[in-house]
Amino acid sequence: MSWLYLGIAVIFEIAVGIFASKAQGFTKLGWTLGTLASGAVGTLFLGLALLTFDVGVGYAIWTSVSGVGIVLVGALFLNQRLTWKKTVGIAVVIGGVVGLQLSGAA
Amino acid sequence: MTTATNTEKTEKKAGPWLVLLLAGVFEVGYALSVGGSEGFTVLGWSVSAFVFFLLTLFCLSVALKAIDVGIGYAVWAGIGAVGAALLGPVFFDEVLTPVRAFWLAVIIGGVVWIKLADSPRIERARAEPTP
Repeated sequence: MSWLYLGIAVIFEIAVGIFASKAQGFTKLGWTLGTLASGAVGTLFLGLALLTFDVGVGYAIWTSVSGVGIVLVGALFLNQRLTWKKTVGIAVVIGGVVGLQLSGAA
Repeated sequence: MTTATNTEKTEKKAGPWLVLLLAGVFEVGYALSVGGSEGFTVLGWSVSAFVFFLLTLFCLSVALKAIDVGIGYAVWAGIGAVGAALLGPVFFDEVLTPVRAFWLAVIIGGVVWIKLADSPRIERARAEPTP
């Protein structure tokens, strides 16, 4: 259940990353409100996930997997280039999360 | 060309970097508060989570007006995640074992790398090498 909460929190944090980039320094009202709303809902689910995860672990997974998601959404839907550098970073994050879980340290 | 020079001048000023560091510190406060709120059932931590949430977003947006987005996000995310990992055990009943520290370092290193790879400034510098 905690992984599900963390997953939902990640989805909203991906939205935060994308909305924030459209808000242009929070000068565009609509995107700014979207950023704040997504951030609030994401925070709520992060809080639920952190009932189980330790803060250091849950937060690191959340922010990193969100970073991966922002790059993937950008590449799939927003016409951004998925460079080999970004791909390496994505692999490192995923490898790290899997390693953390398999080693029992999550 | 003028724009690039202006950006460089702005980035050499300490102000935006201090604001960015502040945003990182607020992000650590946010992470710890969300953790301490126990699913937002503890009022004090919940209120501080909300306040830090607004502070970190505000400072980050101010800093990113002068600092390259990729570099700015990398520093901010790095401070937030490292700070939460180090201070979690100080405030709560958590342990940072060597195995855990290793994998967290891998994960955090990965996301910092991704953010840096997203930097328009670094890409530009690569495309037009300065003499």
